[in-house]
Amino acid sequence: MRMHFYFLFVTWCCLAGCNKSKFLDEKPRSDLFVPTTLEDFQLLLDNETIMNETPVLGEISADNFYTTFNFWQTLAVKEQFGYIWAPDIYRGEGNIGDWNVPYQQVFTANVILEGLPKIKVSSANEKHWKNTKGSALFFRAYAFHNLVQLFSPVFDESTAINDLGVPLRLRPNIEDVVSRSSVRETYQRIIADLSEATQLLEDVFHQNNRNRPSKAAAYALLARVYLSMGLYDKAGLYADSCLKRYDTLIDYNTLNSTTGRPFDRNFGEALLQSRLLSTTGLIKASTFVYCIVDSSLYNSYNDNDLRKLLFYQINNDGLPILKFGYNGSALGFSGLATDEMYLIRAECYARQGKKDQALADLNSLMQMRWKKDMFTPFTAATADEALNLILTERRKELPFRGLRWTDLRRLNKEGANITLTRILNGTTYTLPPNSRLYTLPIPPDVIQLGGIEQNIRE
Amino acid sequence: MKRIAASLVVACLLLGASAFGQQITFSNRKATLKNISKVLEKQAGISLITTRATNAVIRPTAVHVKNVSVEQFLDAFFKDQPFRYEIIGDMVTIVPRENHSRIAPSQVTIRGKILNEQGEPIPAATILVNGSNKYTTTDDNGEFTLTGVDTNFNIVISSVNYEPRELNWQGESELDIRLKHRISELNIVNVVSNGYQKQTQAKATGSYARIDNELLNRRVSTNILERLEGVTSGLVFNKNVNPNTNQSTISIRGRSTIFANPNPLIVLDNFPYTGDINNINPNDVESITILKDAESASIWGAFSGNGVIVITTKKGKYDQPLKLSFNSNVTVGKKPDQYYLPMLDSKGFIEVEQFLFNQGFYDGQDASPFRPVISPVVEILLKIRNGELSEAEAESQLNLLRQQDKRDDVDKYLYRNSVNQQYSINASGGGNNNHYYFSAGYGKNLSNLKRNDYNRVTLTANNTVLWFKKAFELNTGIIFTETNQHNNNIGNISLTYPYLKLADAQGNALVIPSDVRQSYKDTAGGGQLLDWDLRPLDELKLSDNRFKQTEYRINIDAKLKIAKGLDAAVIYQYNRGFGEQNDFKSQQTYYTRNLINQYTEETPDGKLIYHVPLGGILDQLTTDYEAQNVRSQLNFNKSWFNKGKSKFHALTALAGVEVKRFEQEYETMRLYGYNKELQTSTDVDYETLYPLYHAPALTEKIPYANLRRTNTDRFVSYYLSAKYIFQRKYILSASARKDESNLFGVETNQKGVPLWSVGAAWEISEEKFYHVHWLPFLKLRVTNGYNGNVDKSVSAYTTAFKEGLKNVWGAPVGYIINPPNPSLRWEKNHMINFGVDFATKNTILEGSFEYYLRKGTDLIGNSPLDPTTGVTQFRGNTADLKGHGYDLVLRSKNINKQLKWLSVLLASYTTNEVTNYKVKQAAIWYYGDPNYISPVEGKPLYSIFSFKFMGLNPSTGTPIAYLDGDTSTIYSAIYGSNKLENLVYNGPANPTYFGSLRNTLSWKQLELSFNITWKSGYYFRRPSIEYFNLFFGGSMGHPDYEKRWQKPGDEKFTTVPAMVYPADQASQTVYAYSDVLVEKGDHIRLQDIQLSYDFVKNRNERKQPFIAFRLYVYANNLGIIWKANDKGIDPDYINSIPNSRTIAFGVRFDF
Repeated sequence: MRMHFYFLFVTWCCLAGCNKSKFLDEKPRSDLFVPTTLEDFQLLLDNETIMNETPVLGEISADNFYTTFNFWQTLAVKEQFGYIWAPDIYRGEGNIGDWNVPYQQVFTANVILEGLPKIKVSSANEKHWKNTKGSALFFRAYAFHNLVQLFSPVFDESTAINDLGVPLRLRPNIEDVVSRSSVRETYQRIIADLSEATQLLEDVFHQNNRNRPSKAAAYALLARVYLSMGLYDKAGLYADSCLKRYDTLIDYNTLNSTTGRPFDRNFGEALLQSRLLSTTGLIKASTFVYCIVDSSLYNSYNDNDLRKLLFYQINNDGLPILKFGYNGSALGFSGLATDEMYLIRAECYARQGKKDQALADLNSLMQMRWKKDMFTPFTAATADEALNLILTERRKELPFRGLRWTDLRRLNKEGANITLTRILNGTTYTLPPNSRLYTLPIPPDVIQLGGIEQNIRE
Repeated sequence: MKRIAASLVVACLLLGASAFGQQITFSNRKATLKNISKVLEKQAGISLITTRATNAVIRPTAVHVKNVSVEQFLDAFFKDQPFRYEIIGDMVTIVPRENHSRIAPSQVTIRGKILNEQGEPIPAATILVNGSNKYTTTDDNGEFTLTGVDTNFNIVISSVNYEPRELNWQGESELDIRLKHRISELNIVNVVSNGYQKQTQAKATGSYARIDNELLNRRVSTNILERLEGVTSGLVFNKNVNPNTNQSTISIRGRSTIFANPNPLIVLDNFPYTGDINNINPNDVESITILKDAESASIWGAFSGNGVIVITTKKGKYDQPLKLSFNSNVTVGKKPDQYYLPMLDSKGFIEVEQFLFNQGFYDGQDASPFRPVISPVVEILLKIRNGELSEAEAESQLNLLRQQDKRDDVDKYLYRNSVNQQYSINASGGGNNNHYYFSAGYGKNLSNLKRNDYNRVTLTANNTVLWFKKAFELNTGIIFTETNQHNNNIGNISLTYPYLKLADAQGNALVIPSDVRQSYKDTAGGGQLLDWDLRPLDELKLSDNRFKQTEYRINIDAKLKIAKGLDAAVIYQYNRGFGEQNDFKSQQTYYTRNLINQYTEETPDGKLIYHVPLGGILDQLTTDYEAQNVRSQLNFNKSWFNKGKSKFHALTALAGVEVKRFEQEYETMRLYGYNKELQTSTDVDYETLYPLYHAPALTEKIPYANLRRTNTDRFVSYYLSAKYIFQRKYILSASARKDESNLFGVETNQKGVPLWSVGAAWEISEEKFYHVHWLPFLKLRVTNGYNGNVDKSVSAYTTAFKEGLKNVWGAPVGYIINPPNPSLRWEKNHMINFGVDFATKNTILEGSFEYYLRKGTDLIGNSPLDPTTGVTQFRGNTADLKGHGYDLVLRSKNINKQLKWLSVLLASYTTNEVTNYKVKQAAIWYYGDPNYISPVEGKPLYSIFSFKFMGLNPSTGTPIAYLDGDTSTIYSAIYGSNKLENLVYNGPANPTYFGSLRNTLSWKQLELSFNITWKSGYYFRRPSIEYFNLFFGGSMGHPDYEKRWQKPGDEKFTTVPAMVYPADQASQTVYAYSDVLVEKGDHIRLQDIQLSYDFVKNRNERKQPFIAFRLYVYANNLGIIWKANDKGIDPDYINSIPNSRTIAFGVRFDF
């Protein structure tokens, strides 16, 4: 009854012309809010279904697996034609998560970055404020990096100023018109954002919230970015900065290799949890059976290499298929992990001619991968030899993590000369090294609505 | 004579009835007063008032006139009589030929009040002392004073729209006289309500459609709105509504919005109705008014863009003896026709399965470790291949399946005839200072689906009291409704193969495949698991799904007379409703058994762990809403003459403020391991991913279904409305309203544009120069104004949504649903309405014609946005829409003797066109897909677009379509094209012409009426075979399969593509959206027939306890008379089974 009196009172107030705005300020829905506080921003950052997904088209186009024609037919158009490197992979279909999801992350980050200056910084909230800003910058850089790996040519110092990068949206305003930046500008933005993030993010590692970026993760991402650019000195430096803060490796001997799910989301090597697009029809548990591991990849593992048992299982036809990855979930792990950092540092040492340091890194990782007592440390006569060893183990350590496509682009540019082939329903498709097809087309709805320039593929 | 003329002029101006232009032709050698009276009535619409005294003295006289005026005609008759005549208004009175203005001091003064049947004062009524020229008129309160009147004289009271009445004054000091409305079907006597005020339709400028009590009760239904179908001008019930495309089931004058709320506003008495429409008992409804144009609806401002339906409930009346009424009816409905929807029969379906089997299509499923469902036929085929079954044995099993049709069992075991019963009783009455209405209703519906039923109890109490010398009126009302529903029968959705059976010959429930492969279920767990079989017939018995709703509404209206013509009112309404759905799935139900089994884990030592606990599952959904409305309003009502009494003015105005608060809580809750008796449940772990028993490689979380949400709508509105009447024939009206709400954010409200309208009407037949006899009533109307529309889904701010579920790391999460939109505005809907109302003599033919133009601007639209912005869809004021149309209503008395034949014709035309929509879909297939709204500039919002079908490829039987000026079979290029030129525009998807013709035949107390309705000017897409969906289980197939292309040459007589393996989804899309599958929607339907018998008590018969009773029979959904398509499709039911025929029997008693 008191409620009613209150209501009548409010009504009277409204009639009297006062307090009306308060009456009309009530939220229309209890579960809606206008994000303005650090807590609100944290809710957005913690939405890992948006923030912690990465594109999958690169993995689908890479050489880690093949599938059957029957199953291929049930795939979404972009995955069908991405799989066979067709010049037009979308066939008119828009709403491509590989483009849209990273930009959703950029938008969320921008909402936060625009809202943060309106929050008064005090000694009580300063740490939280900085960490929030660092997180937003991290996610924006992560998104731009994932985009540029698919939709722009590989970084080349000599052409980067003219090569088309991705649109760099830096404000949440949807009315802004933003055209494609150059590849150089894109990387500059990624590096600038990440450098700032490393200054802002807390130096605490979130053991139980591995979806949240940390200082170590920001260094890890910088290492990955520089590696993809072929700037090995810096890549190695940042991998080192990362490992100085977090260098946990897990001995695979401690894991249960009989289960289909040997890892879980708190797996100690994961620096940042993210996964390949959940909307994909491939590389997820429900379709593992149709996703047959490339035989040369599978056969490259020594029988005493535990990765063969922990990464793969054998299906009813005797063919190798995947197990759950570093997140223990049905979707492919695509995040940052310490094993990748060891490999980057090792590779960069090797490229700098520091053979011993390179081998030391490689061996500290590999002794965690082989069956106990069966491991003999790798040796190499030269740094180049070491580099080859490292690249081979990189191939074996990081498949199905969304990294292979970037590696193919980078290594082919350096002359690795890797040609990909697929056989589907009797037809053979090939992807020659350094082909224009290594730069994926921009989705048609983006071209039509955003009016940006399309990549030339033919 | 001069004097007469002068008084005539005064009288004419006074009553605004100067229509004596009529020419009279009459010839009779011995004309009596009776003859004269008849002629006047017939040829001039004038009544002659006589008394016995005068009758005796008037002599029959020869009168021969041709084309003379009324005056000349009367002069001819009265020239030799001892009496002369005088014309006052549309009456002629007879006055002695002596000094008629004598006033003797002994004469008396009469005071009185003239009221209508509702007890409302009648202003400007004429009171005439018969046989003299002495008269007066009533004031605004219906009061009059006649001074210096001879005793023992009759007085005659008359007023426009009322039956004149003569009575003998017998010395009362104060007379209280009631006048009856003229009994006429002319809509001019209709009182229409817009929720703020009541007015006679005669003095309205806007567009109203009124459904009176008789018409409402012609139809028998549980739902009040259903009764509007086919009897309301401009209103159409949309069929085949796709919920994905924001279509409404009812639309008034077409479409005004794209993505915002498309439904008309429903007002119950004073306020918008927020509850479930099924909670209104139709027996408590007096009438319904539909507000169609800007003028009639603009008083509702931002809510009125789709028209307004005002439901007026029954009230008691002042000075009415207690009246009891009892109404009851029973409606019986046929079972729905299971065979209406085309389905590929078992023979064909098995043929397809065999074909796919031979292609190796099922090998993957057979080998899949996830153990997907495999159909019984494929299991047989696998057994042959594995050598577990002989060819002959298999063939006989298949033959058995070929003869089975699931629809036989569905019809037999799941459906029944529906039986709906309604009982209602009410009591009403009133005294001088109060009136009341009480009612109780009970309805019970046994639906067509067995074990599904519905019942409703309604109670109403309305009370009105007048206090303080009738200066203060207080009205209180309480309405209570409770409904109970059982939804135990889900129909045939689990029957995915045409040859499935529900029961064996003995009627025992049979197992059907579901979720997990049956052959695995049979052996899984070695008997340790719960029974894993689905037997739909047992499920029907075990299901326990109830829905209970309680709603009550309390009204308090207080009206205080402040000054003459000015009163203030405060109206308050409190409305509350609870709904609770309890769907208890006991451990015996398949749903629960299946879930428990899937989440069972076997430990290495063979023990079972149930992650979903044993016991039942209770799904509970509760809704609780509370709505409060307060309105403060000032009413002004005054009419006056100028000094010379030559000019008449009337002004009604109202202004007010309204505040609304609506709050709704919505909660879903699931309890696992639920024990119904003890009401206990078991906690489960929602976070952990568990491997599924039948597919350990898959891990899933236990389904979580707990959610709670509150919606709050708050509005503050200001409104103003005024009407000015001059000389009773010129009417001007205007209204304005401004709404502010919590939906948009305060900033946007401050910028809010008030919505307004103006209107004018002219009763041209009241003019002196008007000389059209055969059309004694003619009125022109025009209105112009703006309505609005509300969209709850948009906000000026960046809006985020907080999820109920935490992320896998245990942290709460949110996501942004709306990017910031500071330029957001209210939608505006401009409408101009032109109307003509007319009636021929004696209302043989009457009706109205209205033409309107409408234009929606700043419409809120979902438009695809460059995904690079981070938002793929954006809601904002992005679109414009325009439309026009007309509504015609004609009522005719074809035969008006003892046998009466009345017809009512309603015809409407409405069309719309998107005039501004900048964004195009990324590919043209969107325009064919009925699940998307894809506006195209220059075309109706809902249109049928198709790929151009160019025949079948003569060598492969695959469809050929048109692409970029040539034929093409590159399907992905065809549907992926973004050029609209590659599509054919077939036409609008909703009827542009619609209407009904209702004929009523009555003879004595018997009445028969039937209603024929039609819809035309639109197109629909018929279903056909979809191979891709058929192969992958997305479709049950279509009999067009039998007509498919099979060999070269077939393309000459079929358009159905060949079955190709592997099926190509692209080719399927091109065929499914091609113009070869587009049909014209035009059709005519016999909607219903009603037969009734009315018995009215003879005054002399005292034995009968009742005043009247009525027996009626009503048959509904009688079927299609004609349709344009020859595919056997009822265009109102393309993908659903038509409403079954029903027949209702009823009786009503009045005591």
